[in-house]
Formats: sequence, structure tokens, C-alpha cells
Amino acid sequence: MNQARWMVLASEGAGRLWLFLVLLFLYLPILVLAVMGLNDSVHYTLPFTFTTRWYEDLAGNERLLQASVNSVAVALANTLIATTLGTMAALAFARYRFRGRTALQLLLFPPITIPWLIIGTSMLVLFFWTGIGRGLHAMLLGHVALSLPYVIIVVGARLASIGPELGEAAASLGATPFQSLVRVQLPVMAPGIVAAALFAFAVSFDQFVISYFLAPPGVSVLPVEIFSAIRKGFTPEVNAISTIMIVVSMTALLLFARLSKFGGER
Amino acid sequence: MSAVDVRNVSKRYGATTALDRVSLAFPNGSFFALLGPSGSGKTTLLRALAGFVEPDEGMILIDDQDVARIPSFRRNIGMVFQNYALFPHMSVFDNVAFGLTVRRMPRADVRQRVGEILELVRLDGLDQRKPRQLSGGQQQRVALARALVTEPRVLLLDEPLGALDKKLRQDMQGELKRIQRTVGITTIFVTHDQEEALTLSDRIAIIDEGRLIQVGEPGDVYDRPHTRFAASFLGDANFLSGPVRDSGIMVDRVGHIATTSPLPAGDATIAVRPERIRLVACDAATQDNRIEGRVAERVFSGASLTYTVHTDAGPLRVLRQNADGDVIDIGERVALVWLADHSVVVEN
Amino acid sequence: MRIESRRRWAIAWLTGPAYLWLAVTIFLPLSAMLYFSFQKKGPFGRHASEFSLKHYEAFFTKGYLQDLMWRSLEMGFHVTLLCILIGFPAAYWLARRIRGRWREALFLLIVLPFWSNALVRIFSWTIVLRPDGVLDRAVHLVIPGLPTIDLTDSYAAIIIGLVHSYLPYMILTCFLSLQAIDESLLEAARSLGARSWTILARIILPLAVPGLAAGSILIFVPVIGSFFEPRLLGGPKGTVIGTVIEEQFTVVSNWPLGGALSFILLAIVLLILAAASPVLKKHMSTT
Repeated sequence: MNQARWMVLASEGAGRLWLFLVLLFLYLPILVLAVMGLNDSVHYTLPFTFTTRWYEDLAGNERLLQASVNSVAVALANTLIATTLGTMAALAFARYRFRGRTALQLLLFPPITIPWLIIGTSMLVLFFWTGIGRGLHAMLLGHVALSLPYVIIVVGARLASIGPELGEAAASLGATPFQSLVRVQLPVMAPGIVAAALFAFAVSFDQFVISYFLAPPGVSVLPVEIFSAIRKGFTPEVNAISTIMIVVSMTALLLFARLSKFGGER
Repeated sequence: MSAVDVRNVSKRYGATTALDRVSLAFPNGSFFALLGPSGSGKTTLLRALAGFVEPDEGMILIDDQDVARIPSFRRNIGMVFQNYALFPHMSVFDNVAFGLTVRRMPRADVRQRVGEILELVRLDGLDQRKPRQLSGGQQQRVALARALVTEPRVLLLDEPLGALDKKLRQDMQGELKRIQRTVGITTIFVTHDQEEALTLSDRIAIIDEGRLIQVGEPGDVYDRPHTRFAASFLGDANFLSGPVRDSGIMVDRVGHIATTSPLPAGDATIAVRPERIRLVACDAATQDNRIEGRVAERVFSGASLTYTVHTDAGPLRVLRQNADGDVIDIGERVALVWLADHSVVVEN
Repeated sequence: MRIESRRRWAIAWLTGPAYLWLAVTIFLPLSAMLYFSFQKKGPFGRHASEFSLKHYEAFFTKGYLQDLMWRSLEMGFHVTLLCILIGFPAAYWLARRIRGRWREALFLLIVLPFWSNALVRIFSWTIVLRPDGVLDRAVHLVIPGLPTIDLTDSYAAIIIGLVHSYLPYMILTCFLSLQAIDESLLEAARSLGARSWTILARIILPLAVPGLAAGSILIFVPVIGSFFEPRLLGGPKGTVIGTVIEEQFTVVSNWPLGGALSFILLAIVLLILAAASPVLKKHMSTT
């Protein structure tokens, strides 16, 4: 009896310790990164001396600032386009049964599952060949393609929980399709749409591989700029901007989680 | 005049036929039940009336106007959905007002009309609640008020009481009937619950496998079912079959069973309702149809008892009111007797 | 007929824009890449298009390309295996033993790093793993007198970085399938006299196979296509098939070879998936 109890306690302890170690593994490097962004040493050496100078330096770094502006601009445009087009497609999938529906849904998987390296280089080939070229517009084209499947899935999940009856109820009460969309469908879908938008923002804002292949010399977004800074031999400035990036995208996910009740039972 | 007229309507989904050349007239002001098992096509018919389903063939007329080219939102219908489909982001008031505001009715009129209809369904005072703060019965009333407030030509109800528990369902049946009489609107409702159909409606259509089996007043359909399916779906029935002889049939090992209904040539099947059969002592004399047997089973359900009697024609069920507390013991031999009038000839 | 044609228009208008976009930015590029992989030369300068299999032949004649492909597959296998070994117990504990708000919070904490930039996270490991870095210092605190631990530019560093990048996938998919197991199933097993280990092996594990499989695919495929992780963490030792493909586009401009290698990579992925599909189907259909 006593031994059995001891076993239970031991396994409880082991399980919790394991989870703690996993979390430590996941967060330790991120914390080190953030801390080193506040350390005076250029070579990341201890002892730790607090400074905010790397953050101050950011303000004077034209390249990084321009890249940040580009990143946010592309991410916002991506969010708008991907959320609109994705929501429309999700509506069609949720409300209509039609031939080819399953096939269209299956087509959402290649953009998610094919390695970005292959997708990114393919885009480079086509865009170069057809004269679309490289640049922010090309990145936007690519980011929207990667965001669309996620938007369709997230909004689709919300729509599946609503069902078609509300739209039918609106129609039976005399609402035109437009009135039904504006006054019933969109308000009910709103949490799903906002969640999908946050997701799309994060997909674009964090996207490195696609941007890397589609960035011409002189035009860049944050991850591409960080990559070249790392390869050049970096300074803690990179830590500072990276920390800011992490905070931005994690905030987006936390909002997403709140809105979509991700991970929790209702 | 018929408010709604369905002519030869068919609808197929791939290999399955949901509606097979259904023709049905819904009289003005009637409370019409579409009764059938799940998957029979009754909901498809209702959705075709609402404009959510397009018939492959045939024609639907509302007030003598062909509605094939009229979308749902211009058909001037009211519909109550099985799960109510209340707009979750709107208050009770906004839900009910929806049909009026999409028609751009002035604000003051909207307020007055919504107030009146909420009073009619006895929901006054709850107008600022959200649907999720209401009980099932209250949600049902909101859905009804919302469907009625626009004064539609027809009210369509899709299993309106299916989600309520038994006691509440009985209350709502009375309520629904009262409101329908007050408003006087042509009402068509889909149900698989035969009791509900009998209680509420003044006309019943029985539908099975996409086909219309029988239409009529509840009493007629109950007393004179045309088919074996109609007899067993609406109420309970015992069946006896055999070759036709002298205004009756010869049942194997039992003998002649008389009926007053017209008989076909050859073989026929007769249906007898369990409550039309009397149980008497074996030595009692009678002119009526008579089969002897032994009581094999007794099911007590409060106001009545159902006996299963094993006879030479197979097991037959008999319903007996629990009027005097008399109970027949299992194993006892009894005679089952009933009037020739109560032997109804049905198609197989 | 009116409703039917309205319906068609609605479907076309709603799905059209999204799929047109996907066609232009995913499927057309892949087709273009496939086309060029069979061309002698890339679209530079003026020359007529010329069909050629030489870039596919290159893979089969040049041993070092096969070695690199093999190295990438090995890397994918190692990372996936480590993710299962670390992630499954964590997911199990989270899904079956922790309840309520704590579970929600911990789950969120585990998937959260996922939404921070992958590049930045790889970069952070270069700081941790460098000589005199955090790892080195921590180890020397516990056991002083050890030689300096320098994982810079090593295979181990690549594996650590990739496991860190993809571990949340495995925990996520395993968590979802473990969470879906009905408690009454385990109670039934217990009432039939099964012990904890038997329950784990005969009930929980088989029911978790879809989650393990989904997680493995989601990890294995991107890992064998990774390039910047090996480059940053492995340095000169970080050459894998992914970095070779990248170089064909960014350094040496041999697009047809890069395309051919990409499609060979995709073909191998598909072959592996096809080989695994009977097992997957069996388990997916029963749950």
C-alpha cells in the first residue's frame, strides 16, 4: 500500500519534471537571446552588464528600420488579402456541396506540406521567367499563398460550428444575400475571421524562406535583414530586433488563442 | 382556395429519390402536418417550399404564383427551424425585429409590432436577453415570434418541438395551436411524431420514401389508413391476411374475418387497431369477428394496458383502458372480438 | 434552374479568387520548376529550350549528391525520433494527467514558441551553444574541470536546433489525439484487470498512432528540406541537400539542377509516405 502510493508520487513527480524540462528547452534559448540583447558585451560574454544601447542603436539603423516598415506593410497587406479571399472560400466550402469540393480542399495541403525551400525557389523561377520579378510585391504574392490554407481552415472550423441554418433563417425572414452576409454571417463569424487574420499576420511577419528567395538586393524585410546580419558577424542589435519580433508574433498568437479558444474545451 | 399548391414535385440526390412526383394542396388557414419517418422526404418538401431546395421537376405555387424563380427571401414565408437558428449575436428584440428591419420598416412601427408579437407568445419583458440566456421553451417562442412578425403568407415549422422534453412539448403544442388560431396563418409543419401530428393539425399528409401515401383529416387517416405503412406509422395496428371471401377474408387456421370496406380481388390484408379489439371470455356469444388465444404478455403503462395474445393467426396486440383496475393474467385463454366496421382493408 | 445557376455563380465567385491566387503562386511555379528541371539550361540569356535529363542523371552519377540526400534523410529521421521520444511523454502527461486551466496554459506555452520566427530561434542557439556560452558555463558550474564544450558548427547543434524548432508540432498532434481518448475506455480496461503498462501499450499507444503519424510527417518533410538551420548551426559541416538546392538558386544559378534535386526530394518524400500509408490507413480508419 505504502509502496504503491510512493510509486504514484514518483511518477507524478517524473511527469511534471519532464514537462518542466521540455518548457525549459523551448524557452531557454529565447530567454538567453532576450537577455543578451540587454548585455553590454558585443561577444555575448558574461558577466552581465545591463544596457539599453542596442535598442537605442536600432533607432539609428536605417536598414533595419526600413526592413521593419517593409515587414509590417507586407504583413498587413497579406492579412487583408488572405483573410478576405480565404473567408470567401471557407464560406463556399461550408455552405455548398459541389463536385470538386474535396479536390479543392486537398489542394490546400501542398502549400502547407511542401518544404518552403522548394516553394520559394519555384516562385523565384516563375516570377523571374514571367517578368513579375522579385521585390515586396513578389513576397506579398508568396505570403498570401502560404496564409490562404490556414485562413480557410481556421474560418472553416468556425463556420462548421455555426451551420447553414442562420443564413437560411435570414433568407426566410426576407433578408437579401447581402443583408444576410452583413447582418448575420459576418458578425457570427467575426471571432474566426479575426483569429485567422492574426494567424495570417504571423505567417507573413515570421516568413523567412519565401522572402529570402524573393528579396532583390537593396529591398528587404526583417527576417532577411536579420539573416544577413547574422552571416556578416552579428551584433547584439540583432538580439534587440529579434526580441521585438518574438514579442510581436507571440502577442498575435495569444490573441488568436483567446479568440479561437485554441486548446481549451468550451 | 389553396394557399400553397405542390404539383408533381420530384427531387433526386444522386441515386436516392427524396421526393417522387408529390402533389399536395395546402388549404388556406389550415394547420397541415407532414408526417413520416426520418429520411422520408418530408423535410425536403418543406425546404423546397422555403426555396432552399430546388425541385428537379414539378411546380410549387404560393397564392397561385409559380415560385420557381423566386428566391427564398422574396417568398414571404416564415420558418421555425429545428434548432431554432436564433441569431446568437442579437438580443431577443433584434432577433424578432430582423424581418422588419430588412424590409426597412420605420423604427417606431418596428417597436410596436415586436411588442405585440412578444406579448402574443408571452415573452414580454425578455426582449433585451440574448438567446443563450433563454430556456429551450423560450427560445422556441422567440423563433415563432420572429417567423410570425412579418405576417408571412405561410408558416413553415421543421420539427418545431423536437428539442423539448415531454412536458414542455405538450405545453407548447397547446400554445402553438392557440397562436395559429389567433393569427389564422396557413401552417405547414414537419414531424415524425404521430401523436404531435394528431394533436396539432387539422390535416395530415403521410410521406414515405419520397412518396405521398395518404392525405386527410387526422380522424379519417387514423380510421381509414390506405396502406399497411400508414396504419402502422400513425398509431398501432394488427394485420391479418388471406384470400377474399364473402365481404371478408379467410385467415389460415382462424376462419372468416368480416369487413365493411370494399375488397380487392384475390388476397387482401386487414388492419385492426389494438384499442378496437375487446377481450371477452371464451364462452361469450358474439356476431362479430372473433379469434381465440392465450395471453402471453402484459405491458402496463398507467392509463392503459397492452396485452399480447398468441392466436392461431400469430401474436395480436390489444389495448385496454385501465378503467376498473381489472387485470387479465398471463396464460389465461381469451377471445378477441371486434366489429366488421373496424376491419380496415389496407394495401401492402 | 434559377437556384442552381445562382449557386454555381456563388461557388465560382467565392472560391475563384483564392484558388486563382494559389494557382499562380504555388502550382504554376511548381510546374515551371518541373519544366526547367528537364531543360538543359535556365532562362538566362538567349538560347532555345532544349530537353535534357542530365540534371536528373547528375544525381545518380555524382556520389556526393546521393550522400547529401542520405544525410538529409538521416537528419530527418533523427530529428523525428527525438521529437517523438521527448514530445510523446510530455503530450501524454499534459493530456491525461493535468486538468483545467493549468492544462490550457501549459499547452499554450508549448505551442507559443512556434509563432516566433524560426530563424531567430536558430540564431538563439548559436549564442547558447558557443564556447563560453550558456551551456558551457552551466555544465562547468556542475562539473568543474571538464574541457570546454563547443558545439559550434556541429551535427549535434543542427539536431538540437531542429528538434527545438519542430518539437511543438509533435506535442500538438499527440496532445490532440491523446485528449480525444475517452476516459471510460481506460476505466473499462482497468475494470477488466489491465495494469497501467498494459493500458498504455494496448490502448493508449494504438489510439495515439494518428497523432504520432501526423506529427512525424509534419516534422520529417520540412526537416529534410531545411537549409538555413544546417547552414547557421552546422557551418561548413552543415552541407545537406537543402543547402545544395539553395545554392543552385542563390550562388551558382544552375536552376535546372536545383529543380531536379527538388523534385527528387519530393519524390522520395512521396515514396516514404506511400510506404507508410498502409499502416496509417489501418489506424486512421479505426479512430
